[in-house]
Amino acid sequence: MNKCIYLLAVLLMSHKTMIYAAPMSFKGSITSMSTISKNYSYIESSYAITSKDSLGINFNENKGDSYKLKAGEFFYLRRLMRVNEINSQTNLWLFTSAGIVNVKENLKDDDYIYLSPTLQFDYETKRVFSMISHQIMRVGNENFDTTKIEGGFSFYETDYDETQPWLLLKTRKTSTVDSKFEYTPTLRFINKSLFGEVGVNLDGDPSFHLMYTF
Amino acid sequence: MMKKIILIATLFLSMNTYALTQRIEILGMVCAFCAQGIEKSFISDENVKDVFVNLKEYFVVIESKDGKSIDEKHIRTIVNDAGYDVRNIEIVSDSVGEIRERYDPK
Repeated sequence: MNKCIYLLAVLLMSHKTMIYAAPMSFKGSITSMSTISKNYSYIESSYAITSKDSLGINFNENKGDSYKLKAGEFFYLRRLMRVNEINSQTNLWLFTSAGIVNVKENLKDDDYIYLSPTLQFDYETKRVFSMISHQIMRVGNENFDTTKIEGGFSFYETDYDETQPWLLLKTRKTSTVDSKFEYTPTLRFINKSLFGEVGVNLDGDPSFHLMYTF
Repeated sequence: MMKKIILIATLFLSMNTYALTQRIEILGMVCAFCAQGIEKSFISDENVKDVFVNLKEYFVVIESKDGKSIDEKHIRTIVNDAGYDVRNIEIVSDSVGEIRERYDPK
């Protein structure tokens, strides 16, 4: 019951969304996350049915100079590979999403059903994080592929009960929608189940990300 | 004869009422967000009384409830289901409370 209340609270608190770290947690857990920024936002929640598989739902909005995409989708997330070392973790993830996207551009206003795969590779230690992902999304003869690259470091190691601060640089670009990569220096804070980020891109637009595992 | 039976019964009972503390070295536990999954998985196990996570030295200590035991295979399953791997498991003589006090006295 408490899990449901927390989940609803997170979903209500955050109506827009931008970033992935570890996109799923332990078997039986619910991971909810949201990012709010001027041009790209999402909210999603997923349930880990095994330690390698989760099912989720995602709503997102992506705006550029002339295009605006609004999508709602179901997704299946598979952890294709994880290499656990004593001081590092390496992952390869595959998202398979299916949903409906509304594409607006000038007078154009169309809905499309889509199927979209995303590959994400990440490597992290207690002090270093790096991630690259690429989503293939083609609808209505348009290419809306999205590439994200993120990297950064933690200022210092912390104990389990302490909040660990990180400094990251995040970059992101959606073909057709964005004319150039967006660069967002970001502060990340991790405290057990709570994962928060605050960033400001080079145009001065802020972004906020929150993730919680129940 | 009766003395032997009482001695064996006492030994048997004492073996099953002591809590067992195990120190588990974890591979891949590099952040608190990772570790909380492992901690929650152990806490939700009906045989586990207490859990202590040491992120800096990559280990977790679990203490079983009195009269219960947690075998290595089950520990490995819990850690694997959380997404991580076990490097080593050893039985230690201290309780989780004592170990917590040693590493985290506050």
